Amino acid sequence: MRGVLVVAEKEIWQLLRSKNVLVSAVLFIVIFGGMTGPAMLAGSDADPVQVMDQLLFYLVLVLGVFSAYLFTGQVFLREKQEGVVETLLCTPLSLREIWLGKVVGIVVPATVLSYLASVIIVLVGSAVLGTTVWPSPPVILHILVVVPAFIGAGAGLIGFAQLLLGMRENQVLNFAIIFGLIFLISFTQAILGPSFSVTWGVVAAVLALAAVIIMGTAWLTRVLSRERIVTTLPD
Amino acid sequence: MAAVIEVSSLGKEFGGRRVVDNITFSVEKGEVFGYLGPNGAGKTTTMRILLGLLAPTSGFARVLASDLAVDDRARGDVGVLMENNGLYERLSARENLEYFARLYGIERPKDRVSELLEFTGLQDRSSEPVGTFSTGMKRKLGIARAIMHEPEIVFFDEPTSGLDPEAQHMVRELILDLSKREGMTVFLNSHNLDEVQRICTRVAILHRGRIRALDSVRNLVRGGGKSVYVVTLADPAAGTAAVDILSSAGGLSEISAEDGRVSMSLDSLQPHEVISLLVNGGIGVDEARREARSLEEIYLGVMRQAEGDVS
Repeated sequence: MRGVLVVAEKEIWQLLRSKNVLVSAVLFIVIFGGMTGPAMLAGSDADPVQVMDQLLFYLVLVLGVFSAYLFTGQVFLREKQEGVVETLLCTPLSLREIWLGKVVGIVVPATVLSYLASVIIVLVGSAVLGTTVWPSPPVILHILVVVPAFIGAGAGLIGFAQLLLGMRENQVLNFAIIFGLIFLISFTQAILGPSFSVTWGVVAAVLALAAVIIMGTAWLTRVLSRERIVTTLPD
Repeated sequence: MAAVIEVSSLGKEFGGRRVVDNITFSVEKGEVFGYLGPNGAGKTTTMRILLGLLAPTSGFARVLASDLAVDDRARGDVGVLMENNGLYERLSARENLEYFARLYGIERPKDRVSELLEFTGLQDRSSEPVGTFSTGMKRKLGIARAIMHEPEIVFFDEPTSGLDPEAQHMVRELILDLSKREGMTVFLNSHNLDEVQRICTRVAILHRGRIRALDSVRNLVRGGGKSVYVVTLADPAAGTAAVDILSSAGGLSEISAEDGRVSMSLDSLQPHEVISLLVNGGIGVDEARREARSLEEIYLGVMRQAEGDVS
């Protein structure tokens, strides 16, 4: 566990030095959290609390996972591109400890950003509606617990894929993730429908889904080998 | 002496292409072992198998009696410097070293880091990002990182590649210092023959995945234990005639002539017998002496022979 924490701490520290990535993530959150959300609130005839709940339910989750995706590029892919991962693989850490340390190092800053997105959505949404709109308790739990779990699941799965795949396959993966996330931001509310409300049961189900993804990815790391990583390093 | 690296019948294939082919050797504690070969000979692949980064297709490789692919703790006794230094460019020199010190579980990491920064002469720039360092400074820091945990064995992959002569000298001195003062075993992957001759005690020469020569540097430059004898002729044009006379005499091998100098390995003949043969054959001799061959000559000879075997 000590090794996991050492790796996580270094990744957080290094992400804080990656100004370009940090600025991109913050801008993305401010733009989508501060503009898309309130625009949907203003254009809806439904109950503002319900619309706010819906927004916070999926938008914060998608923005958090998107931040995590941006960070995986720095934490997993860049280390592979620069070949530093080969040296890391020669340390006494197991492959799973390295992977887990990096995931934890992504979850912490991405969670902070998702909380920032929640605050922005609530503040700007309340300003647009002219009254303070508080999220319901299930949504607060969702933001505090489920979103970080999903960020971990997303970071774990994407990081695993980045370690597993070669550079060309990773480019294809990047396009797929970006388009997937844009699709989620654009159409999730339409898919959920106006009558959708966030209940304790929904929150529990989404948390269970995150847990399944995390456990599934942790299990998948067994197919990840040092040889697979080394043979997919760029020349 | 105990073998700290054991390699037996090692083979590695990638997609049906044999990159390492039936290699066997061992390295004893405290040796500086040079692993020589041209690009693509299989040097890095062998090193990666030793480090547990690649699985062998056949045979086995043990480091400190362990398979590093599965023994996490044993990797803690091994230091590695790959071609890319293994450093994070956005972190400072001190942060890089402290990170690896903590990964290796070093007690009082800050003290050890300060000691290494002083050892490599980088203490004045310890708080600057590594990305701003010159190639030589990064290499020094990479070496400091590799020996951070005082490993029993250090693996170096082309440690002086891309460095200017001054930095190359500094890196060579560092490696020699590690071996002599710290008693570390060094496994050196290189195609820098001068470097290997200066610092290695024993070498293996690799060609297309197979070991073509394996001996101490001392034995190799002396012609595999046989004396290399060089005769300077009074008439530089008499080289061919001298080779003919000596070839027909027997007791000599590897006879060649170039610019009035005839070199040979003495198998059973004595030096005075060689001179007698030439003088009796009407060829004047200006000078005759035993001579060590450079590792470069040995290497090129091994490569030519290996190419001949392959074709």
